[in-house]
Amino acid sequence: MKTRRKAFNAVIYAVLILLAAVFLAPVFIVIMNSFKGNFYISEEPFTLPKDEKYVGIENFIKGFTQSDFLQAFLNSAVITVFSVAGIVLLTAMAAWYIVRIKNRFTKMLYYLFTFSMIVPFQMVMYTMTYFAFELDLNSIPGIVFIYLGFGAGLSVFMFSGFIKSIPAEIEEAAVIDGCDPIRTFFMIVFPILRPTAITVAILNAMWVWNDYLLPYLVLGSGEKRTLPVAVQMALTGGYGNKDMGALMAMLVLAILPIIIFYLFCQKYIIKGVVAGAVKG
Amino acid sequence: MAAIEFRNVIKRFDNGKVTVIPDLSLEIKDKEFIVLVGPSGCGKSTTLRMIAGLEDITEGELYIDNKRVNNVAPKDRDIAMVFQSYALYPHMNVYKNMAFALKLRKVPKKEIDKKVRWAASILDIEPYLDRKPRALSGGQRQRVALGRAMVRNPKVFLLDEPLSNLDAKLRTEMRSQITMLHKRLQTTFVYVTHDQTEAMTMADRIAVMDKGVIRQFDTPQKLYAEPADMFVAGFIGSPRMNFIECEIKRRNDYLTAEFAGNSLRIPSAKTKALEAYENRTVILGIRPEDISAYSGGMNMQESCVITANADIAEMTGGEVNVYFTLENSRCIARIRTERKITSGDKIKLLLDCNMAHFFDKETTKAIGRI
Amino acid sequence: MHKSLKKYFPVFVMPVLAAFTVSFLAPFAMGVYLSFTRFKTVDSSEWVGFENYISIFTQDETFLYSLWLTVRFTVVSIITVNVLAFAVALLLTRKLKGINFFRTVFFMPNLIGGIVLGHIWSLIINGILGFYGVDITYDPSYGFWGLVVQMNWQMIGYMMIIYIAGLQNIPEQINEAAAIDGASPVRKLFSITLPMVMPSVTICTFLTLTNSFKLFDQNLALNGKNAETSLLALDIYKTFYDHTGLRLAEWHGIGQAKAVVFFLLVAVIAFVQLRVTGRKEVEH
Repeated sequence: MKTRRKAFNAVIYAVLILLAAVFLAPVFIVIMNSFKGNFYISEEPFTLPKDEKYVGIENFIKGFTQSDFLQAFLNSAVITVFSVAGIVLLTAMAAWYIVRIKNRFTKMLYYLFTFSMIVPFQMVMYTMTYFAFELDLNSIPGIVFIYLGFGAGLSVFMFSGFIKSIPAEIEEAAVIDGCDPIRTFFMIVFPILRPTAITVAILNAMWVWNDYLLPYLVLGSGEKRTLPVAVQMALTGGYGNKDMGALMAMLVLAILPIIIFYLFCQKYIIKGVVAGAVKG
Repeated sequence: MAAIEFRNVIKRFDNGKVTVIPDLSLEIKDKEFIVLVGPSGCGKSTTLRMIAGLEDITEGELYIDNKRVNNVAPKDRDIAMVFQSYALYPHMNVYKNMAFALKLRKVPKKEIDKKVRWAASILDIEPYLDRKPRALSGGQRQRVALGRAMVRNPKVFLLDEPLSNLDAKLRTEMRSQITMLHKRLQTTFVYVTHDQTEAMTMADRIAVMDKGVIRQFDTPQKLYAEPADMFVAGFIGSPRMNFIECEIKRRNDYLTAEFAGNSLRIPSAKTKALEAYENRTVILGIRPEDISAYSGGMNMQESCVITANADIAEMTGGEVNVYFTLENSRCIARIRTERKITSGDKIKLLLDCNMAHFFDKETTKAIGRI
Repeated sequence: MHKSLKKYFPVFVMPVLAAFTVSFLAPFAMGVYLSFTRFKTVDSSEWVGFENYISIFTQDETFLYSLWLTVRFTVVSIITVNVLAFAVALLLTRKLKGINFFRTVFFMPNLIGGIVLGHIWSLIINGILGFYGVDITYDPSYGFWGLVVQMNWQMIGYMMIIYIAGLQNIPEQINEAAAIDGASPVRKLFSITLPMVMPSVTICTFLTLTNSFKLFDQNLALNGKNAETSLLALDIYKTFYDHTGLRLAEWHGIGQAKAVVFFLLVAVIAFVQLRVTGRKEVEH
């Protein structure tokens, strides 16, 4: 019995290791190619960067300088940080108001926010771009504002669900202790919302950081472009001969921050991403 | 340290569609311990929340310390409140929970520290000052909630069912601790509960409420001895008072109450008021503890012996609760007896005439109460 | 409290509501309106009634093709992703050392954005096809299966987490009872484990369904240029932005009408999802 179980476990490990290899291979192959010369990437994508194929960090230097990668990276970082901060704080405030002030108007708002979650982007893609340009929102602060509007649906929905479970008595105690609504929110409600705020922050960060179409339409592919737009441009742009080496380096640099972020806050990310999916 | 006065206060909800309190007038004296008691939905919590300022007053006026407070914000009323769920701030430790209100009022740090430690020592929660609420037991949380109110040194202490989440043993313990606290703090306490035992044991005066109306506002002794109507009579005392329909008859120079073939001689003190009810049906009320086992040789003028069938007999230690039926009404007697009573026994019971209450069948008001 | 909070509407709700109106409410309303017009730009719209909706099916050959492609892609994805994710979850709920490492690895691809992900797979798939001297555009079925593989790589780890949560919710006593009753492992899987994780199955099915149905970034990056492998979302995008010249106004109207139809399809799926899953939620 015991030996059979041991053998069985060995088989399971073998299967898992094989699967893990399959899952890691694509990332590994990209990293491998990012150290290879241009020619070898398209001709021999699955060979190791050895001998004459190895070019050191040359691709990374090219990736950085040629495509103004750093600019795109910074754009993405700024947009993500401000959008997420804005969404977490402002939608938590709105959700609190909507849950605590019960009337027909707030109820309607709640349904509109929930409704917006199911509408595919293509439905508003063209008209939203029109408004963005009409209102001069085709800038980095402008897109932060637009992200606030698009992120509102899921975030208000998630915060509302949690706020409903907080007893109103806690807020009443704060009022008696001397808080006005602003202080009640910042000193009592928002700290209690912390777990949901982390989930909302992670979900929105993953979305904004990886989003392609919205920033492409609003900010274009010029100097305000974000990282996914830069990657897409570099790989499909019509500049004739593509520099595959630089492109591989860009892909690696685009994945790297996410993987580092993931390894550090794995627990929160898995929990947050799944909680968001199950609720949304 | 303040008197509270309600003057014809009306409270409606849902844009005036639902009236919870039709017309409330109530005067609470300075330093008094008042309990608002009644079944759930009777408006007692709403009344308390109006004092706190958590609910608007639809009509009428509310005074605290002779100042009209209808439009005064809760924080400016100088009140403190203890909630049923304790409502401790989950993200702050015990110390910060208690210091919060003082910090908002910009009290110097040193003074805050002094007050928090003073309250903590009285309540015996000093060892837990740096714990978060979720690491405390129910009783400890309850004491923190009290402490949070104490440090404020408020004019009025409001307590909304503060003991209902505790187990029976702890509840008894906390009851006496709150009474002690009232003596020590010398402030006005307004306490809401649905438990008449809490009301009876703690209050200076009790307001019994039903459907938004105060049925009677008096000391516990008076409420027990002279209930104003059947609602109060039934609500105060446990097990509740027995109500039996009876007819008032004249026998020579005295009146009797007749029911199910039994006759109870009405004591002379109540004769005058009941004369108007001669040959009419009234409700006789008698408390379970005013019924005893008959063992012969008693002054028959002062009492009445009835024979009943014990439907159920419950031993509770020193006493037996005997359930029986009289004139279609279920009755309970709480008797001290050596004899073993079992369900189904025929027993003789002695009703104490001097303890009998009489109520008008239509108005349910007590007859002969001045 | 709530009396005083009420006055704070401008502080608490206004910022979000303003952004929501600009980026969603107004564009949505205008999008519905424009689907009934012919317009080159938003300012020059001309009412045409249902003409655009009719054109979707008569003039435009790509819509029905993309819809059918999307449906096939969605069905294949639902089956492959869920079967594989469930199998992996079964392996990972066994009490073995190092389980967390595998969980971390399998979940990781989910965090990589669609564009980057599409290009990674484009390199790999074209690399493999390169051995045979062709590339992904050679045969539409290559593109189709490429999308399926990519979808699996991205979604399996995600669904696996939900299945693991579902599996861990099965009380140990039920498994013990089954063992006492003498159920074989296969029998146990079908008569006990599967029925017990049905809530997770429903959730995962619908998540894969909506995600596959709305797929855009990965499609654009992997084989966006090929019309034969354009899913619905990409097809709508192309209807708007890939046409030039005189008939532009016509195409904008048709694109917007397609978007409305697409929205209605997604709405129906979401509505059914709400109905079926009810308020079932996975506990963690």
